[in-house]
Amino acid sequence: MSGAGFLELDRVATGYGATQVMKDIDLSIGSGEFVALLGSSGCGKTTLLRVLAGFVAPTSGHVRVRQKDVTTLPPDKRGMALVFQSYALWPHMTVAQNIGYGLKLKGMGSAEIGSRVSAMQSMLGLDGLGDRKPGALSGGQRQRVALGRALVIDPQILLLDEPLSNLDARIRLTVRHELRALQQRLGITAVHVTHDREEAMVMADRIVILDAGRIAQQGRPEEVFNRPATSFVAAFMGAENLLHLQVAVDGSDVVITPGQAQAAGRVPLFGRSLVSGAVEARFRPEAARLYPLHAMPEAGPGLSLVGEVLSVTYPGGAWRHVVRLGDRDVLADAPRAHAAGETVNVFVPHEALFLFNRPANAAGSSISGPESRKAFA
Amino acid sequence: MQSHSPLNFAGADSPAGHDRRAIGFGGVVSPLVGEMAGRPEGAFIGRSATVLSCTNNFTPSLLLVPSMPRRLLGLLLVLPALGVIALLFILPLVMSAIGAFQLDGGWGLGNFTKSIDLYAKDIVFTLGIVSLSTALIGAGAIAIGGYLTLGAHPVAVSILRFLYRWPMFIPFIVVGQILRTFLAKNGMMNNTAVSLGLMTPLDAMSFLDWRGIVIAFVWKQTPFVALLVAGAMASVNREGIEAAVNLGASRLRILFEIIVPQVITTLSVGLILSFVTMMSVLSVPLMINAQSPTMLTADIAFRVNAYGDYGVANALGLISLLLASSVAWIYLKISMKERA
Repeated sequence: MSGAGFLELDRVATGYGATQVMKDIDLSIGSGEFVALLGSSGCGKTTLLRVLAGFVAPTSGHVRVRQKDVTTLPPDKRGMALVFQSYALWPHMTVAQNIGYGLKLKGMGSAEIGSRVSAMQSMLGLDGLGDRKPGALSGGQRQRVALGRALVIDPQILLLDEPLSNLDARIRLTVRHELRALQQRLGITAVHVTHDREEAMVMADRIVILDAGRIAQQGRPEEVFNRPATSFVAAFMGAENLLHLQVAVDGSDVVITPGQAQAAGRVPLFGRSLVSGAVEARFRPEAARLYPLHAMPEAGPGLSLVGEVLSVTYPGGAWRHVVRLGDRDVLADAPRAHAAGETVNVFVPHEALFLFNRPANAAGSSISGPESRKAFA
Repeated sequence: MQSHSPLNFAGADSPAGHDRRAIGFGGVVSPLVGEMAGRPEGAFIGRSATVLSCTNNFTPSLLLVPSMPRRLLGLLLVLPALGVIALLFILPLVMSAIGAFQLDGGWGLGNFTKSIDLYAKDIVFTLGIVSLSTALIGAGAIAIGGYLTLGAHPVAVSILRFLYRWPMFIPFIVVGQILRTFLAKNGMMNNTAVSLGLMTPLDAMSFLDWRGIVIAFVWKQTPFVALLVAGAMASVNREGIEAAVNLGASRLRILFEIIVPQVITTLSVGLILSFVTMMSVLSVPLMINAQSPTMLTADIAFRVNAYGDYGVANALGLISLLLASSVAWIYLKISMKERA
């Protein structure tokens, strides 16, 4: 992870026709770093990857590898290999031919191609499948062939365009770790595009969250998860419960104005840059604590709420409740089930409570629609 | 002109003629398939009716009765189609085939030995011209399809997309006529070359021989194959092409190593259909190359029109049918493989 600035995007902007897809993207990726570009569909993450790969020319800005401007270089002159979402294997070629094609293009002798390809097959667990056509492989095997085809040419940078999205959920979990281990073993720089938050969290050194063609936040997984910079990032990282509150900043504390559902409270400012006024409060279902009414123990600073349980389900691990708080419903988990109709106290500890000033045009944000909800499912 | 030939299968001369054959072929298959499919369906209905009757206490006969006429009804429905095919297609074909072996005093191979004696050169000529044309059509179709798929200049691509299909809508006879005025010794091609100072009138030569036929066939048939091939190429996974670009493949390598292998089935089918169509064209050899050697279709028309010699005409027809079937056999093999 040394040598920051190994791969640099400098004020990159691009669009199709009159539509601007990305604006002023600045990103610096270190050598050997695994960076995940995370965002919902249509946020520009695949376009960004295609700009890196050289399939889309930016309308302005520069792409640099080791301080060398590669913005106008063709895809094969950038030292990057792309693994496609559809794997893009050539159906008329065998596994060995697919993997070896890049070497053949480089004019390598067939004996050396053979030995490199079989080494790659062994590394990826594809031994004995060299003579098969892609049609006779499972999804996971195809994915590994696509990876082998990209890696065999020894690229400096590996670009991954949602490479796991076509795999079964169970295989995906193991492939995540295999891919991450392989990347670390080879010390290769990787840029991984995904819409799967968990995938980005477990695989990446750094997560870059894109929202409508801009970088909303970037940082280590735990930073982005625990200290989201915007309401969008908080929602994307799972804090989908949204409440509108009035607060007043008082020195190093934030004073919560009591309302329909919430009690008066006081939480530390905790490095947030807040001003008094209307705020959006976000928290994760699993961060909330549920108590029967008036049975809430005294527990540090936080947001306490009163509501009625509408329904309860068991998704595994904890009971998930839909709780009506005034005019809004939130999800809250608890180790035991509270019956529907029961009035409960919901407590959100201050470190799990994300507060953001509402923008001037606070007519809802782009994140609470059903469209974006799909992305976290 | 060609309608005098009893061997209509080799005399169809327009694109419509080619289509008619294709429909006829489909017509032979579908009624048979329909009949075969009808049987198990009927049986199934019979069985299910029995099951129903056991559980629901229906009278079995009430439910079984409609299944019997339905089977007959299916047969009745396909009967007109079968009849038309039998009367207008199979019967004339069989009659012509039989006629090829009919001599004045009985049966024999006389018509065939006469055909070979008189027209061996024409058989080779026909096969050579059609094979060469097929190869050139293939090359042209790959070039057009390849440019439509990989072309980097959007304006050039759209102009080509607009232009390349036009010859498909021009009948063979018109193609022959156009090229006759274009390729003749004092035709437009030579006149233009002379007026541009590229050659002197003395160097001008006529292309109205085998070269003219090949030019006419390629001009007329390339768009048809290109249309099929370009469609198939358009459905090749774009990411597969980008993956090759990513590894540094040139456009020519992408075309021949990535795209063409994936559309090879469509290309072969298009070329086979073109081969069979060209085997059956009469107007082009008559318009462009009214000399010897010429194509078999012209010989068949000549035997019938000039001599009333149906025996040799039938034998020649059977020979061109054999040539056409040899490639049709490849077509069938491909379509069997696709269905498997």
